[in-house]
Amino acid sequence: MARPSAASTPDSGRVSRRQFLGAAAGGAAGLGGILAAGRAPAVAQTKELTFLTIASFVPDTDKELKRQLDEWGAKNKVKVRLDIIAHLQLVTKKAAEVQARSGHDLTALGAGLGDADLYFDHLVDLNDVAADVAPKNGGWLNENDYLIRGKWKLLPWWMPPFPMAVRTDLLEQIGEKNPDTWEDWLRIGKKGKAIGHPLGIAIGQTGDANTTLLSILWSYGGSYVGKDGTTITINSKQTRQALDFVKRLYTEAMDPEVVAWDDASNNRCLNAGKCIAIHNPISAYESAKKDKITIPGKTREIAEVIDHVNTPKGPVDRRTTTGYWCVGIWNFSKNVELAKDFLRYHFQPENQAKWVEAGHGFNLPFLANLTKHPVYKSDKQYRFIPEVAKVTVPPSWPGPTTAASQQVLDLYIIPNMFAQHATGKMTADQAVAWAEKEMQEIYAGRRRKT
Amino acid sequence: MSSVPRWLRRSRPVFTLYMPTVPFVLFALFPLYFMFVTSFKTNAELYDVSSVPFWIGRGVTFGHYELLSKETFFWSWFVNSLMVSVAASAISVVLGVLAAYPLARLKFPGAESFGVAIFITYLVPPSLLFLPLSTVVNRLGLSDSLWALVVTYPTFLVPFCTWLLMGYFRTVPKEIEECAMLDGCNRLQTLIRILLPVAVPGVICAALFAFTLSWNEFLYALVFVSPAELKTLTVGVFSELIRGDIYYWGGLMAGACIGSFPIVIAYVFFLDYYVSGLTAGAVK
Repeated sequence: MARPSAASTPDSGRVSRRQFLGAAAGGAAGLGGILAAGRAPAVAQTKELTFLTIASFVPDTDKELKRQLDEWGAKNKVKVRLDIIAHLQLVTKKAAEVQARSGHDLTALGAGLGDADLYFDHLVDLNDVAADVAPKNGGWLNENDYLIRGKWKLLPWWMPPFPMAVRTDLLEQIGEKNPDTWEDWLRIGKKGKAIGHPLGIAIGQTGDANTTLLSILWSYGGSYVGKDGTTITINSKQTRQALDFVKRLYTEAMDPEVVAWDDASNNRCLNAGKCIAIHNPISAYESAKKDKITIPGKTREIAEVIDHVNTPKGPVDRRTTTGYWCVGIWNFSKNVELAKDFLRYHFQPENQAKWVEAGHGFNLPFLANLTKHPVYKSDKQYRFIPEVAKVTVPPSWPGPTTAASQQVLDLYIIPNMFAQHATGKMTADQAVAWAEKEMQEIYAGRRRKT
Repeated sequence: MSSVPRWLRRSRPVFTLYMPTVPFVLFALFPLYFMFVTSFKTNAELYDVSSVPFWIGRGVTFGHYELLSKETFFWSWFVNSLMVSVAASAISVVLGVLAAYPLARLKFPGAESFGVAIFITYLVPPSLLFLPLSTVVNRLGLSDSLWALVVTYPTFLVPFCTWLLMGYFRTVPKEIEECAMLDGCNRLQTLIRILLPVAVPGVICAALFAFTLSWNEFLYALVFVSPAELKTLTVGVFSELIRGDIYYWGGLMAGACIGSFPIVIAYVFFLDYYVSGLTAGAVK
C-alpha cells in the first residue's frame, strides 16, 4: 500500500518536526546572511539627512533649528530628520553609534571639545566647512582652541556663557552694589546667609561645579595642565589659595547641600527665592520668566528682581569656561557632503542670527559677529553675555583640549578636590596631592593608548 | 467556650492585620501619591519652598497634562511602549516556556549547566550589552524602529522567564504528564494540554514580570530608537522634559502618573495569579 502523502492526511495543517527544523534552519541562515553581509535588506533608497542634537535649554532654539533643517531639506529635495535627546543621554548615544558604525549623519558633540580627540578616528575633517563659515561671520572667536591635533574635527557650535545671576532686591537689603570680584561675592554670600539667602555654587559632581571651580582656580592664577598639554600643574601655591577661598565660601556663605547639587539645583535655589546669587547661564532667569514664578510670600515675579553681571574677577585674572557644544559629522555617514552642505547653510549669518534670537542669546555661537547680535541689547539681562564670552576659555586652559583633559572633567577631579578640602576631609596639601595623582594617571593612561 | 467578647473577636483583624499593614501600604503608595499631587501643582507652587509639598495649596492646574498631550508625542510614546511591551513579553514567555520545559523535565547531558548558563545570561547588565547589541541591531536593519526593541528585549526577558518557569514547572507533579503520555500524547501535546493549563499562574507571573521590565526599560529604548514619534514612554518623557538645567517637574510627574497606570491595572487584575506564581516554586 502506498504511503499517504502529507497533503492527503487529516493532519496536513500540522508541521512535521522535519519541516519545522528546515524552516528554522532557513530562517537562521537568512538572519546569518543579513548579519554576515553587514547591511539591512534593500529597501526603498531615499536620501535622508539625520541630525542628532540635545534638547536645548531654551526650547525655541530647537524649533528654529528644525525650521532651518526643513527649509534646507525642501530646497535640496532631501528628507530630513532632527532627533532630540536630553544632553545627559548624548554620551551613551554617541558610544552606541560609533560601536555600530551607524546612526545619524550629523551629531551634537560635547559638552567640551574633547569629543574631537576621543572620536578623532570617527569624525569627518571639517577644515573646508570651517574655512567657509568663518569669513562670513567675522571669524572664529579663538580659532586655535578648536583645532584638535591640527584639524577641524568638529565645529564649535554654541556656548551658554556663565555670568552671575543675582537677586537685586536682596542685594539692596544687605546694602551691597556692583559686586565684581570673588571676594565681593564671598562677602555678599556671608551677609545673605545671615538673612537666610546663601550663595549657590555647586561643589558636587556636576558640570556647573567644573565650570565655576575652574573659574575660581584660574582667577587665583592656577590651572591643572600646562600649555604643553602633558605637564600637570595643579600642585601650586595658587591652587592652595583657591582651595582655601572655596572652603571659606562653603563654610561662611553657602549651605552644605551644595556638595550634592546637580546642574538643576542652583536654578531651583534662585527661582525658589532662597539663593541670593548663583553662577549660571541665563536659563534660570528664562524659566522664572516663562513660569511667572513669584517671590515667596509676595506677588511680585522673581524674574523682575534677577539681574546678571559679569563673571567674577579674582586676585590674578577674570576667566571662566562653559559647556562647549559642538557639531560634527560621523565618517560612517552615507551623506557626508549633504551634511557639510547643511552646516554651511546653518552657519550662514542670517540663519545664525535667527537661531540666536530664538534662543534669547542663551546659545552664543563661537563666531565674532554673533557676539554683537542685537538680542544682547534687547534686554538688560543679556548685556554681560558678550563680555563673559570674551573671557571664556576651554576647560583645559592653558593646555590644549585632549581626551585626557576631557576625562579630568568627566571624572569631576576638580570639584572632588575642592569638595574634599571644603568639607574638611583633606587638608589643602592632601587634596592637591590626590588630584595631582589622579590627573597624572589619566594623562599617562591616555599616552599609553596613543 | 472563649470568654473573649464577640466584638473584640470581630475587631481582632483590625489590630493584628490592618493596622500593622498600614505603614507598609503608606510607604508603598507615597511615591504614587506624591507624583499625583505634584502633577496638578502650578510651577509657581512647585518652586515655592514655603509651600507644603504634600498637598495642593494654590489651586489645581491641568497644564502639565496639557503640555504632555499638546506639545509632545506623549500618547504615541504610550502606545509604542504598550506595543513593544506586549510583543516582547509574548515572545519571551513563549520562548521561556519552550526553554524551561526541557530544562525542568528532560534529562540530557549538560541540562543543569545549561540552566545555570541561562541564569548567568540574565545577570549580564544591559549597560554592557548595549554596545555589541547596537551592532547586531544595525546589521539586522532594525535601527530606529520599534522592532529593534521587540528583538532586543527578549535578550534579558527570555532568561528571566525561563528561570522563573523552570521553578514553577518543577512544582507540577510529573505523574500527570506521564499519564497523558500513556494515553498517547507526545511531549508537545503534554506541554500544551496538560502542563500549561496547570501552570497558568506561573506563566501569568512570568508575563507580568516581562511586561513590567519591558515597560520600564530605558537604555535600549534610548540607544536603538531615535525618532521622536517612535520613542517609548520612559525615554520620551526624559528627553523632552529635562532640558539641560531645567526640569519640568510637573510634566515629569504627570508622565510618570499616566505611565504607571498600565502596570497598576495589570497587577490588580492578575494579583492572585502573580502571588501563587511567585510562591509556588518556594514550597515544592
